[in-house]
Amino acid sequence: MTRPGRRPALPVIAILLVVGACGPTAGAGGPPPSAPPGGAVITAEAIAFDRIELVAPAEAAFPLLFENRESAPHNVTIVDDADRSLFVGEIFGGPASRTYDVGPLPPGTYRFRCDVHPEMSGTIIARKASPYGSAALH
Amino acid sequence: MATITTGARADVQPTTALLRASVVLLTIGTAAIHASLGGVLFLANAAGYVAFAVAMLLPGRIGPLRWLVRLALLGFTATTIGAWFLFGARFPLAYLDKGLEIALIVVLAIELWQVDGGPASVAGRARQLLKRISAPFLARPAQ
Repeated sequence: MTRPGRRPALPVIAILLVVGACGPTAGAGGPPPSAPPGGAVITAEAIAFDRIELVAPAEAAFPLLFENRESAPHNVTIVDDADRSLFVGEIFGGPASRTYDVGPLPPGTYRFRCDVHPEMSGTIIARKASPYGSAALH
Repeated sequence: MATITTGARADVQPTTALLRASVVLLTIGTAAIHASLGGVLFLANAAGYVAFAVAMLLPGRIGPLRWLVRLALLGFTATTIGAWFLFGARFPLAYLDKGLEIALIVVLAIELWQVDGGPASVAGRARQLLKRISAPFLARPAQ
């Protein structure tokens, strides 16, 4: 006979197992992918971006390759000092990647972040291309 | 009317059991979605929902205080929806989660009416509980 006081133990354990199993899972890892021509690359893993600073060309559209290496959904949004969105990338779960087409940014420093996890953030510097060559993208 | 016998007590009506099961399942569902998002805030939120789901199932001493668990879960869910409305990101999984949370609030409200006797009765219980808790602090020694 089952003791009444012990009966909820199974459902409680089941709840903990179900919710625990739903936690974000990491992808395979490895080196960051190479940036698309004339563009930049950024990776998300363990609820963090792999870099806190990006350099992009000013006054020119550029491709931004975003690789999400975990199941948790992420995106890249670029905002100005007043927190106005200049670019909002699609939110998606991983492991997967998207190439965002970012519109021209005036020269200056901006913030990029994940809209789902605002603690994931960094700085993006839009620089005019040097007359001696293209702006270095990181 | 037929009752469900749990072994501990035999006063759970089928509708009550159905409502309780719905509350627990919806709570687990939204906890699982929050856990899947990762990050400290979402995991803390998921842990809160898990604690409520467990509190809805636990027998014994917590039984007479189930109305308080329901009320707290209702407030927790409403706060979560409000926080998302103000600060949260808009994407399909978030909309699904808000759907679950709104359904949870509806079921909790029905349970609050059917099992706890409605807001007036719950307010009365809350007043009694506050009185009981504050009594030792308010009691002054006789002069």
